[in-house]
Amino acid sequence: MKDREQEYRELFIAEALHEWDEMNRHIVELEKFPEDEQFLSEIFRLLHNMKANAKAIGFNTISELSHKLETIFSLIRTNEIEFKEPISSVLFKGIDMLGNMLRNIDDENALIPDESILKLLDDIISEKEIKSDHRSVLKNYAPSKVSLSDLIYIQVKKLDELMNLVGELIIDRDRIASIAERNEDIELRHVSSHLERVTKDLQTGIMDARLVNMGNLFNKIPKIIRDISKEENKLIDLSVTGQDIQIDRNILQKITDAVLHILRNAIAHGIEKPEERIKRNKPEMGSLEITAHSDKDIVIIEVRDDGNGIDVEKVKKHAVSGNFISADRVNDLNEKEALSFIFEPGFSLSDKITEVSGRGVGLDIVKNTVDSIGGKVEVISRFGKGTTFRLILPNSIALTGALLFEVLKVPYAIPLIHIESVSRIPTSHLHFVGKSAFIEIEKETIPVLYLREFFNSGIYRVSELVVDGDLTQNLIIVSYNNRKLGLIADALIRQQEIVVKPLQNPIADIDLYSGVTVLGTGEVCLVLDVPSMSRQFSIKRNPVELNENI
Amino acid sequence: MKHKILVVDDSYYMRVVLKNLLSDAGHEIVGEAGTGEEALKLSESKDPDLIMLDLILPDTTGLEVLKVIHAKKPDQHVIIVSAVGQDMVVEEALENGADAYIVKPFNEENVLQVIGEVMSNAKS
Repeated sequence: MKDREQEYRELFIAEALHEWDEMNRHIVELEKFPEDEQFLSEIFRLLHNMKANAKAIGFNTISELSHKLETIFSLIRTNEIEFKEPISSVLFKGIDMLGNMLRNIDDENALIPDESILKLLDDIISEKEIKSDHRSVLKNYAPSKVSLSDLIYIQVKKLDELMNLVGELIIDRDRIASIAERNEDIELRHVSSHLERVTKDLQTGIMDARLVNMGNLFNKIPKIIRDISKEENKLIDLSVTGQDIQIDRNILQKITDAVLHILRNAIAHGIEKPEERIKRNKPEMGSLEITAHSDKDIVIIEVRDDGNGIDVEKVKKHAVSGNFISADRVNDLNEKEALSFIFEPGFSLSDKITEVSGRGVGLDIVKNTVDSIGGKVEVISRFGKGTTFRLILPNSIALTGALLFEVLKVPYAIPLIHIESVSRIPTSHLHFVGKSAFIEIEKETIPVLYLREFFNSGIYRVSELVVDGDLTQNLIIVSYNNRKLGLIADALIRQQEIVVKPLQNPIADIDLYSGVTVLGTGEVCLVLDVPSMSRQFSIKRNPVELNENI
Repeated sequence: MKHKILVVDDSYYMRVVLKNLLSDAGHEIVGEAGTGEEALKLSESKDPDLIMLDLILPDTTGLEVLKVIHAKKPDQHVIIVSAVGQDMVVEEALENGADAYIVKPFNEENVLQVIGEVMSNAKS
């Protein structure tokens, strides 16, 4: 676990090594121009920082050595000492020793300074000169070989650009593969399969370079929780695990506010005040657990509290009073469906909005954020017992696993993260209510969209399926915000990693599509926006009325 | 009380330590500077309530920065944070209008306390 102390230590070492290099550059110049005030003041400043920072972090021997060197350079600045042999050689030795300490900072022995050098430095300070020449007996601390840092800093933007280029490369790679297939060109097939391996390694390499530890976010949580719990007068027993889980840096950046929002909600509205908890036979301290774990390409973050939970009846009541659903339909909702209202924009359970916000206020933003990176958010709550929020996130941003399918000979894609199941069902399993179709799966009634009708409503009708359609249908169940929607496609093509590109104007505003990808065949393939479709077709909580104008 | 603070120190490490300390305590870091020139620029554009000012800077000294700032904005609150601890320097800084002087390495609680004192005096 990389805590703050560790972070400070690494910062200190990185800066100190850099400053040490600077110092060496200046002292070499100083030897040529011993009177140059600019070099002197820079060396003095760098030693001065080294002294203060090393002391702050507890490297006392480094601080003391820097202090002695700083003192001598300040005496040189005030012309009490002249920068010349043999003093200058002792100063070079002192700075070499300082560098040796910095380079071997984890080695306790290296941090013990050489007494004979310290003694000479002290002599220079007190006597302003060195009587005898000790130089030959001093140990050599100059680095025997030049070593460059093993770490480089790189701007995230540069990694973003590389990732985009890999995306382009993958599109071309897939095209070459399909040209090779089509032309039955053996040689091109060989090249293509090699290209596939190389691009895959390149892609993995760049994705890997973008990964950071969840600890970057998680290590900040204890302090934040402490502050919120003080404000809210709650006692919190916090447990954080999964700091080592790796995730794309941009994804972590995007979800940071969402995670903090959920944590605030858990303390402000989930966990009860200590006296209330005692009354309810709960431990005085509320438990708040934050975990992260990874499963293949996804990272799951869970925030679990043992507080009050969410009152589903209250959610239903607010859903009706806020005109999210009509009173006669609200009772048909199961618990999971009802809870999903807390993610609707404008939905609030709070009667008065506090600074920290009522449970519900802002959760639509949490959801939007998670959607925007192709993730999912789920909530499980037991009234009186507690609530769990689960964020299911892709660990990498660039490539999306998708299901490709066909409707009227046109290919479409749906990100796998939104797909619940894919099956072939007998047409007779569909129920019809008016112009709409439904299917019953595990006692759940799911509205079904006949995609031919969806894309060409003037020509096709879902009701035709029964009369003269096939005996079986390809049914894709997608889910969003606990609401499921069935889609009937003509044919399923395959599962594939795709690079989703945003739609460009003038079609950027069509919110049925989240983007577009180019298939290996060169065909353009639209990517369906499941959140938007489900908003349009299941927000009305059935019956689904297809808009004739689509 | 939450204040808008500008952190001036030529050491990146020290700026990070100060920024973490101050923002954890609820203050807002409106800017950070590693040179006197940047410090002057930010003190104008960000209009901080308080400037945490290092004395030894690459292009000038904190004392010079302090003088220029006070010439333009006499009521600007400034706390000197420096490893230079000689009485003479401390006195000179205070005479030139610094509200307080903190010697590095500092005790974190102490820094917050000094800020609290400086800023509460400011109100009265």
